[in-house]
Amino acid sequence: MAKKILNNIRKLRFFANEMTQQELAEKIGASRQTIIAIEAGKYSPSLELAFRIAEAFGVSIGEVFSHEE
Amino acid sequence: MSYQVKRSIVSIVLGIIVLGAYCIYAYSNYQSGAIAANDLKTWASTMLVFIGIGIFATIVIQIVFHILLSVGIAVQEKLRNGTVDESTINKTIKAEMVTDEMDKLIELKSMRIGFVVAGIGFVAALVSLILNYSPVVMINIMFVSFSAGSIFEGFTQIYFYRTGV
Repeated sequence: MAKKILNNIRKLRFFANEMTQQELAEKIGASRQTIIAIEAGKYSPSLELAFRIAEAFGVSIGEVFSHEE
Repeated sequence: MSYQVKRSIVSIVLGIIVLGAYCIYAYSNYQSGAIAANDLKTWASTMLVFIGIGIFATIVIQIVFHILLSVGIAVQEKLRNGTVDESTINKTIKAEMVTDEMDKLIELKSMRIGFVVAGIGFVAALVSLILNYSPVVMINIMFVSFSAGSIFEGFTQIYFYRTGV
């Protein structure tokens, strides 16, 4: 059975001085549309993009993404 | 609505207009007898003309679309901040047009759907020959199916942008 990938991007943005989706997109070199899709669980990013998101918040990749049990 | 979705809608509308224009032109000429049913050369040149029109129209529409997009962004900036700063507009346009891995994935997936539609049309065209239809019917089926494939590609892109990929 396929597990769903969950993320804490919304929470991490909140704790990063309410970083906007556009600001995050610019930081990681992606489009705002992609950030919206990732946050909504409609798109699972590549490992490279996932690492860039984690680096943008200064946390480990495990703190951004998790597997639904 | 994102830039990519807007672009897909423009491409779909253009595809439908060009295909519709071809169908009306070809059908009316065929009915009036201006193009003979077995005159492959005239049919081929008609299709080539419409392919040319399609390419030219795509270039013109894309230019007009980008101009309108820029104007739209400028108007939004004016309403929001009361001033129009050129650097802000350029920055917003640049941010709108960013393409990343999700866009590439959606493009690939939708292109596959487009090829499937065109492929089905190609098989249908071959079947029409086996069923003793004229070669004109065959090339018309191929032309319409390739155009339909391009339109389906646009619809699939919108679907993936809406539902995720």
